[in-house]
Amino acid sequence: MSEELQLKIEQFLLKKGNVGMVSELVPLTGGASAETWRFTFSNENKSSQMILRRGSGKKSPLAVLKSEEAVIQQKVKSFGAPVPTIVAISLDEKDLGDAYIMSLVQGESIARKILRDEKFSAARQKLAFQCGEAMAKIHSVNLNDFDQVPKKPIREELERLYLTYSSFNQPSPVFEYAFKWLNKQDFTNRKDALVHGDFRLGNLMIDESGLAAVIDWEMVSVGNPMLDIGWMCINSWRFGQSEKVVGGFGDLKELLEGYNSISNEKIDNEEVKIWQVLGTLRWGVICLIQVYSHLNGDVNSLEKAAIGRRVSETEIDIVDLLFLGGK
Amino acid sequence: MIFDRPTSAELVEAVSQFLEKQIKANLPDHLAFKTQIAINVLNIVKREQENKELLTKQSKEILLNLLKNPKEADIKQLAEKIAEGKLTLENKELQKALIEITKKKISVDNPKYSTYKKLIK
Repeated sequence: MSEELQLKIEQFLLKKGNVGMVSELVPLTGGASAETWRFTFSNENKSSQMILRRGSGKKSPLAVLKSEEAVIQQKVKSFGAPVPTIVAISLDEKDLGDAYIMSLVQGESIARKILRDEKFSAARQKLAFQCGEAMAKIHSVNLNDFDQVPKKPIREELERLYLTYSSFNQPSPVFEYAFKWLNKQDFTNRKDALVHGDFRLGNLMIDESGLAAVIDWEMVSVGNPMLDIGWMCINSWRFGQSEKVVGGFGDLKELLEGYNSISNEKIDNEEVKIWQVLGTLRWGVICLIQVYSHLNGDVNSLEKAAIGRRVSETEIDIVDLLFLGGK
Repeated sequence: MIFDRPTSAELVEAVSQFLEKQIKANLPDHLAFKTQIAINVLNIVKREQENKELLTKQSKEILLNLLKNPKEADIKQLAEKIAEGKLTLENKELQKALIEITKKKISVDNPKYSTYKKLIK
């Protein structure tokens, strides 16, 4: 399997004008809708490490195509946001299918290591500020350049989340309450922006000086930019370090300072809380999607079965945020 | 009850301990990680077996107290009443019920979860 893929990658890169050999091809853990591989590409001049991201054929309803993901990253990079360099994009089944190859950004993406390893202690100090900066850069790109990105107005997104949740026929009083509560909120104060959609540890490459790249753009959309801020600040992505609101490593104040070093948008804690509730609910529904893909027999997976019992984590976070002064 | 000991909870506990002490340490990282998930799942089953009767009874009382009618006192109907607006978001008894029932669920699913630990302190 991987020898065949190795040859396919070589042929594809050759077609795109990159002469060389592929070696050390290894699968990395990736999302359900995509495979991710790392490999070394070398010729007589140089050797470099690259990443292949490839659609698994089963497109997640939440995700854009890999080829689109690549084009979006190229454009975002031209606006100064930290993203990896795209090497080549494949559309054709005869090549790599829906896929792209990018240069490997050196760094760590595993949350537990970023939060605990001594070598990232200096990075952790400035990471919240840097995340704010990167988000603001993404949110301030000119939308005329991003016609192909799906538009997801937040009201429609909430409706879609509600339909998805309802389709599983597993009623949650806390989710019903949260949907009702969110429907009463005013979301009209923000202009549409490019939204990463999954901005959190796990999708950030961190090196010893901090944020090296924002990766995994498959949930990208045009919509309300507060989604990224709220998502980065939910307890689900603090990995046990719950006193640090931003990703388990930083304070909201630092994130917003970074944001406002690029953007003039005024954001207060109350508004962030609304988006934390929304983000937590969104993660809860994604957990349901995953567990039901196991229960319906689409995939047989221990991880997916286990995630069904993480829904109550999102429920306790929602009641904490709404009724008990949670942050 | 016609079954002898070990109880189902005790059986699950034995498997969980076996995986933890004898299997996990001898596996490469990615399999050790999956084994940990298996252990976590077994521990959920164990806690549920041990506590479900009490937690279900307590939850029923909370639901009855809120919804009054014994025929309506279940999670599904509580969800419906919220969706239909028959219980308002400002209703303090509703809020309290949501807090208490959710705490019971997570006490089985993941008692080490940060928010739960904070709330029971």
